[in-house]
Amino acid sequence: MKEVMAIIRQNKVNVTKEALAQAGVPAFTCRKVLGRGKKLIDMTLLRSIVDSGEIPATPTGEYLSEAQRLISKRVFTMIVNDGDVDKVVNTIMDVNSTGNPGDGKIFILPINESYRVRNGETTTEAY
Amino acid sequence: MLLVRAIIRPEKVGVVLSELLSAGFPAVTKMDVYGRGKQKGVKVGEVFYDEIPKEMLLMVVEDKDKDDVAKIIMKYARTGENGNFGDGRIFVSPVEEAYTISTKKKGL
Repeated sequence: MKEVMAIIRQNKVNVTKEALAQAGVPAFTCRKVLGRGKKLIDMTLLRSIVDSGEIPATPTGEYLSEAQRLISKRVFTMIVNDGDVDKVVNTIMDVNSTGNPGDGKIFILPINESYRVRNGETTTEAY
Repeated sequence: MLLVRAIIRPEKVGVVLSELLSAGFPAVTKMDVYGRGKQKGVKVGEVFYDEIPKEMLLMVVEDKDKDDVAKIIMKYARTGENGNFGDGRIFVSPVEEAYTISTKKKGL
């Protein structure tokens, strides 16, 4: 079993859900996260809006200039069988790829064991 | 590649993130978590708090960078000279593959 951890744009959650269901791998967990990538966020646009006075300087302005400058993302976590990893990765990449930086990342992690809470069975089918 | 999961105090996130950035590790994901540690939570008067708010930082780094990242987090997430209970933990686990969605390329 492998854990597929995909960090994607927030507005791509619905299409990703649908695509995964159609690919036959419906089980997933989704979480709200904040983050940043290798490319630094270009704050010039936002800062010019703050400077022009359209947004009040406090607290929004201070947040934009001072704080950690993280972008809101969604992280999909899926536990899948070894054979399904390529299918899941390709499905996620197909629907999420806009060609722009910020589309996200996919990481594959090993999972040693899994248990089904309902009846305690330990199985590779328990994804 | 290794996944570094660091659970730290929420008030230390800002300084840790800016120090990671200046050390050349910009990529990081942050999530709000609640939990307790070995001390079984915090007792304030009669009340026991065992769901303490923390922030979890997730970073996937090359093997050689793991020690640097852990050192930076431990240096700046610590409170006081010798640290205190509740400063957090860092866990490291292996990552087998990584993909960038925008370019569909393998690797970090």
